[in-house]
Amino acid sequence: MEEMIIDRLRAIVGPSNVTTEYEDLLCYAYDATFRESLPAVVVKPRSTEEISLIMRLANEYKIPVVPRGAGTGLSGGSVPLKGGICLVLTRLNRILSIDKENRVAVVEPGVITDDFHAVTEQMGLFYPPDPASGKTSTMGGNIAECAGGARGVKYGVTKDYVLGLEVVLPQGDVITVGNPIDGETGDYDYPLLFTGSEGTLGIITKIMVRLIPLPPYKETVLAIYDQLEAAGETVSTMIKQGVIPTTLEIADHATINAVENYLAIGLPTDAQAFLLIEVDGIKDEVVRQIAIVEETCRRFGAVSIKVARTKEEIDKLWLARRSISGACGKISPTKISEDATVPRSKIPEMIKKVREIAEKYRIKMVIFGHAGDGNLHPNVLTDKRNKEEMARVEEAVAELFQATVEMGGTLSGEHGIGYMKAPFLKWETGETGYQVMKAIKKQLDPHNILNPGKMFTD
Amino acid sequence: MSQGACDLMQRELAKCIKCGTCRSVCPVFQEVDSEALVARGKLRLVEAVLEGKLDYTPGFAERMSLCLLCKACASACPSGVKTDKVFVKMREMLVEKRGLHAVKRFVFTWLKYRRIFDWSLRFGAVFQNLFLKTAQQGTGKEARIPIPVAGLNKRRIIPPLAVRPFRSQMPEVIKVLKPRMKVAFFTGCMMNYIYPDAAHSLVNVLRKNDIEVVVPQDQQCCATPIFTSGDEQTARQLIQHNIKVFKGLSVDAIVTGCASCGLAWKKEFPEILNTRAAIREARKLSGKTFDISEFLIKNGYRQDFREVNLQVTYHDPCHLKRGQDVFKEPRELIKAIPGIVYKEMAGADQCCGSGGSFNLAYYDISRGINNRKVDNIAKSQAQVVLTGCSACRMHIADGLGQQGKPIQVWHTIQLLDMAYGEKGLEDERRENDGGDDY
Ligand SMILES: Cc1cc2nc3c(=O)[nH]c(=O)nc-3n(C[C@H](O)[C@H](O)[C@H](O)COP(=O)(O)OP(=O)(O)OC[C@H]3O[C@@H](n4cnc5c(N)ncnc54)[C@H](O)[C@@H]3O)c2cc1C
Ligand code: SF4
Ligand code: SF4
Repeated sequence: MEEMIIDRLRAIVGPSNVTTEYEDLLCYAYDATFRESLPAVVVKPRSTEEISLIMRLANEYKIPVVPRGAGTGLSGGSVPLKGGICLVLTRLNRILSIDKENRVAVVEPGVITDDFHAVTEQMGLFYPPDPASGKTSTMGGNIAECAGGARGVKYGVTKDYVLGLEVVLPQGDVITVGNPIDGETGDYDYPLLFTGSEGTLGIITKIMVRLIPLPPYKETVLAIYDQLEAAGETVSTMIKQGVIPTTLEIADHATINAVENYLAIGLPTDAQAFLLIEVDGIKDEVVRQIAIVEETCRRFGAVSIKVARTKEEIDKLWLARRSISGACGKISPTKISEDATVPRSKIPEMIKKVREIAEKYRIKMVIFGHAGDGNLHPNVLTDKRNKEEMARVEEAVAELFQATVEMGGTLSGEHGIGYMKAPFLKWETGETGYQVMKAIKKQLDPHNILNPGKMFTD
Repeated sequence: MSQGACDLMQRELAKCIKCGTCRSVCPVFQEVDSEALVARGKLRLVEAVLEGKLDYTPGFAERMSLCLLCKACASACPSGVKTDKVFVKMREMLVEKRGLHAVKRFVFTWLKYRRIFDWSLRFGAVFQNLFLKTAQQGTGKEARIPIPVAGLNKRRIIPPLAVRPFRSQMPEVIKVLKPRMKVAFFTGCMMNYIYPDAAHSLVNVLRKNDIEVVVPQDQQCCATPIFTSGDEQTARQLIQHNIKVFKGLSVDAIVTGCASCGLAWKKEFPEILNTRAAIREARKLSGKTFDISEFLIKNGYRQDFREVNLQVTYHDPCHLKRGQDVFKEPRELIKAIPGIVYKEMAGADQCCGSGGSFNLAYYDISRGINNRKVDNIAKSQAQVVLTGCSACRMHIADGLGQQGKPIQVWHTIQLLDMAYGEKGLEDERRENDGGDDY
């Protein structure tokens, strides 16, 4: 990139917030996926105004700009595929206000998700979206990916809490969409448009979210099965019976073993599956629902059922769930995390399909995820250095997506499309849907400088 | 660089799934928001070097030395990447290629030549009053001009150096009337030169528990600051020397009061040595090395403490908690003393920012990390912070002093010594008539 442009960036954000050193570029070339591509420069702005100036400059010279939060994305959203400016948003990290009376909070995009949880919960408030990466991920990244989490079954995903956003558009204009009152405005529902837009339509610089009162009580159940299918059946039946757990997580044999290896917390390593089920709310109601949960698990053949009531017990069960993703890294170095999601009634069918595919392509696949959402997170465990196996993995993934769409599901329950699923997006949207998306993108970003190569392949 | 070291690095690198969890725990990253400083980024750089995509550039060296080796990333990593091992190995490779970092080289030459080190520190002790003025709280002295040995920042508060190192005040063997055990005390540099008060307390507590103490005069630095900077060769010489000095002693245990020395004896000596015989010898001694708190809990201790009415908290040194898995023991000892009100501080096991010579080279970052620690200490409302590592003690005292917080920092063993009072020492005075004059 021309030195003149770098100098102008320096003039906008200050010299210490711009780096072009190769050692730094290498570290902003990846996210939690497996492909890397170097940016030309890393820029760390501190304000909406600075970002607006950066976008104007980038437009003038047609330089790609890739917004970046914590870089924990699982579809490659923040990988600078076409080089250009890596725009790191972590310095915008203030919680601007929490209005306890109206239960609304305004935060900047660099706030860490779990920090926000901690602060709101201290005030007796609750922000439900809880991606397993919350210790690290940013609120901006969560909005941009429409992150989901274990509590999604009952509380929904990120978009259900977004009331309004401040966004810097690709050409540098700043708009505020929605509002911090109830999110309802006279115009189109723009917050919904930008939520999940994966940094392709604008840079989110302020986030207004709805909070709810912190539920006073919860209980957690860990049910262990000697058959994965039985766990799947339990899930679809439980939902049919009208139990609305906060969390309904599934993990298969290989996953359980990986976690046990890492944590040594006494999970039976011969188990074929576990379900982690949490119910929260008013105590009497929780107790009643947990009884139904236990009964259903038993009916479908759970071999052991553990109920946790104290905070320590609950935390211990959760630790197992939260550690899964990383613990799988111990099985194989490369983990390709899919989040193809199907309607909940199709879970048993999907489990069968995943197993078939794994066998057919001779690859290792594990299942762990938000079963309550129909999101099984089939993860491929492989080694990117093994070219031959990677080719088989690609075919397997394509077949998995095909099956998902056929079952009426979606390619992305929560991780987004990024570069990884871009080639398959059309399968889900259809031709017309795809063209509408492109038209919106073109209108807002005529030079295609904002996160090029993501969602769309061309 | 051996093939083995490369293999180790490759194996660990392959395990990193770039999940970013390390971002939530790295104290350096929390201070300087740069992906190149967090484990995920550093590992990527190491990988790039091994792949030949990146040279051993000064920029790479700088990023590798911007690490406290606090192991927080290693213990949080869900994938079990032994990050600290990779970083130390890479530092060794860097030393091979580039030689030692300037500040560090200065300190190390002195560590190697003990006489010069002694002399320079003592020189400092004698002359410091010429250029140091006493800081507000009496917790230390404020350097008016930078002292070369520590590359000290001007505003930094360092404790007064001992006029005479601990070991030169001590007889080689400290006898007790009815010994139930006999141990060797590995003092480490900081207890010897900077905090002899804690070293004396450690010996006192052992004596009060009827344990005979040997303090080998000829012991040297445990080599931690040296191998963590990649100078494996010098480290090996020191380790071999120490093993030679300790292996001939007929003692039941080797006791340390320094978190890093303890970790070095227990785990790092056998890892750094390179011949089978030497490793075997080191392992034998490793097996009987204990941190003082661990030793007391294991072997029992007198509980006839007097009442001490203090509100205290405890800071976990990285090399004690994550290095040796010792964190329950000191708390148990502290709580055994009547009158003590123990308040756990938030983030007790977060690094204090000292990181060995890290704080000499990157004082500002290190201070930023330490400020968070100081805030947590202040919030606990303790009158005294206890800890098991002299480096932590010095760095925390510096932080408290700079922020004008009238809170004391002691080694845990000092509190125990105080709580025992003079009991148990009276009879033995005659046995040990003073130290030899150095
Ligand atoms: C171990 C692990 C567990 C995970 N668990 C979950 C889970 O349970 N649920 C889930 O949904 N996801 C999960 N993820 C995926 C990931 O954490 C989420 O997608 C998260 O929202 C990404 O946040 P980030 O701050 O890391 O964003 P990044 O990865 O940096 O960026 C993600 C995308 O958002 C864009 N972006 C970032 N900030 C902004 C902004 N301010 N304005 C506009 N665009 C922006 C980027 O361009 C990119 O396209 C997990 C990831 C890992 C590694
Ligand atoms: S926590 Fe471990 S696996 Fe995750 S990025 Fe850091 S080093 Fe890699
Ligand atoms: S050892 Fe400590 S300072 Fe070094 S990278 Fe890991 S967490 Fe950061």
